[in-house]
Amino acid sequence: MFNSPRAYLTKVFIQIFLRNKQYILFSLILPLVILGIVGLNDGDRDPIDIGLADNANSDLSKQFVASLASNNLFNLIQESEEVLRDDLINGDLMIALIIPADIGNQANASKIKLLVDKSQVQFIQTIKPILDQSLLSIERQITGNPPMFSLFVEDVKSRSQGYLDFLLPGIMAFMLMNLSIAGSGFNVVEFRRRGILKRLFVTPIKPIDFVIAIVLARMVIVLGQLSIIFGFALFALDANIVGSIINLYLIIMLSVLMFLTLGFSLGSLAKTQESVGVLAAIFIYPQLVLSGVFFPLESLPEYIQPFAEILPLSLVAEAMRSIASDGLNMVDIYLNIIGIGVWIGIGTMISTRLFVWKEVAG
Amino acid sequence: MTIISASNLIKTYKDSVDSSKSFNAVDGVSLDIHSGEIYGILGPNGAGKTTTLEMLEGLKDIDEGDAFINEINVQDYPYQVKQIIGVQLQANEYFDNMSLYELLNLFSALYNIKNDPIELLKKVNLADKAQAKANELSGGQKQRFSIACALVNNPLVLFLDEPTTGLDPQAKRSLWDLVSNLNKTGMTIVLTTHNMEEAEFLCQRIAIMDYGKIIAEDTPQNLIDQHASDKPKEVIGGNMEDVFIALTGHGLRD
Repeated sequence: MFNSPRAYLTKVFIQIFLRNKQYILFSLILPLVILGIVGLNDGDRDPIDIGLADNANSDLSKQFVASLASNNLFNLIQESEEVLRDDLINGDLMIALIIPADIGNQANASKIKLLVDKSQVQFIQTIKPILDQSLLSIERQITGNPPMFSLFVEDVKSRSQGYLDFLLPGIMAFMLMNLSIAGSGFNVVEFRRRGILKRLFVTPIKPIDFVIAIVLARMVIVLGQLSIIFGFALFALDANIVGSIINLYLIIMLSVLMFLTLGFSLGSLAKTQESVGVLAAIFIYPQLVLSGVFFPLESLPEYIQPFAEILPLSLVAEAMRSIASDGLNMVDIYLNIIGIGVWIGIGTMISTRLFVWKEVAG
Repeated sequence: MTIISASNLIKTYKDSVDSSKSFNAVDGVSLDIHSGEIYGILGPNGAGKTTTLEMLEGLKDIDEGDAFINEINVQDYPYQVKQIIGVQLQANEYFDNMSLYELLNLFSALYNIKNDPIELLKKVNLADKAQAKANELSGGQKQRFSIACALVNNPLVLFLDEPTTGLDPQAKRSLWDLVSNLNKTGMTIVLTTHNMEEAEFLCQRIAIMDYGKIIAEDTPQNLIDQHASDKPKEVIGGNMEDVFIALTGHGLRD
């Protein structure tokens, strides 16, 4: 593994990378900023602004308003109905409750009108059950009826998990993909185009030595870069890592290997620097959307999920998330590991079949 | 004594326009290069000079024929051959952000040997540029540096592919001196060129290639006597450029 030419070439590849300060900075800045924004905003949820017009102004309605106001999920904005309607139309408000003048009339249930901005349908679907629940408990308080059922939510995972903890493994997976693809695919095409590859193979170094040197060097580089991101999230943003960090790094190393072989495949398919850029974009962008890096895979359309699940980045992001957030061990995620292994096989096959090592400079 | 022998080398490529057709870029080349000589391969662009060289260097597969360097079969043992040859390619690009000193250390390491970069740079008159980057060098300096890279393994045979193309007369002369001096140490040198003056000045023997074949091979003087003695030039007839035109018979190639 560590014969001298190979080790020396590995050292040189790392050295070249470390001297490219601008690239290091740029590749770190985006993940740091995204995590920073999410991490600093990951504390208590902001209360939801709710407009409220009390047309009854009775004791009962005042009691209702007071109970709603005491719920810290909501921030009540009391205005007349007309003003609230204008606010909704202008987009300053997304939801408003109108208490009818005849509230408390026991003959029929009081209709509390909910004015909404329909364009915010997603938000309203989320907020409506919370609102219903609040109304029910207010009703019970006012009427004094004991609740027949109560839903007691027990968090089986019983630890605090924020969006940051969801995002962190995904961002790290996405970053390791980019760094690995850039390190193999782009480098090989660039070295080949400039005749550097040919110059290396004038010497008795074998293609396998070159490949191993790139893999080792990239492994060191990616682990270094990811550790910076990981350390930042852990120490500056208080991210929660439940599982074993050693397992996490094992998955990262396996994934770097996978993306390097896939990157070599892209580099073998593409003949020019431009076409490797396009190929890499075709490879990277769909995965950005379909791999559950920024939001859960379950939010994708049903028919696309089976396909999305076997994408290289999905396998990595899910494996990393299972370890980091759910505390699973390597045995539990054996399917992901097999999947990554299959992609390594595919990448190795394509790159060794297609890359003409002998005639490297055309 | 023969150090490089090649018989009937053939390299076939598919036609870039019509892939059902193929052509022989190198078409039955046989060579016999003596130890300690400077041997030149002359020819117009596209004649197959570089392909021939790269087949001898183990950089391109030999489709047909055999090549031996120092009695080692190039096709069967390319890595042993690479140990004993030095190669200067037409393209001289190196890793960015590395000094000449570091690059020479890298190339030494790729042969698994140690060779003092400063000594190598002194040989090519670049010792003061040890800390410079390769892309900061002038054309002539770059060519001299690429020869320094080719010398890291103290090769028996040095291959130079168009070493003076694009150089000004001074840089060209300085490179000729360098090549002559290396040859005086006993190194066999094989070079390609389309500079006739260079072939005439440097080479002990010359092969002229056209359309993948060697169409003449001899000492420069014999070639002039045979093919261009009737051209009035100084007292001895024409020069190598006249030989070249007489043999290949056409003007611009690309």
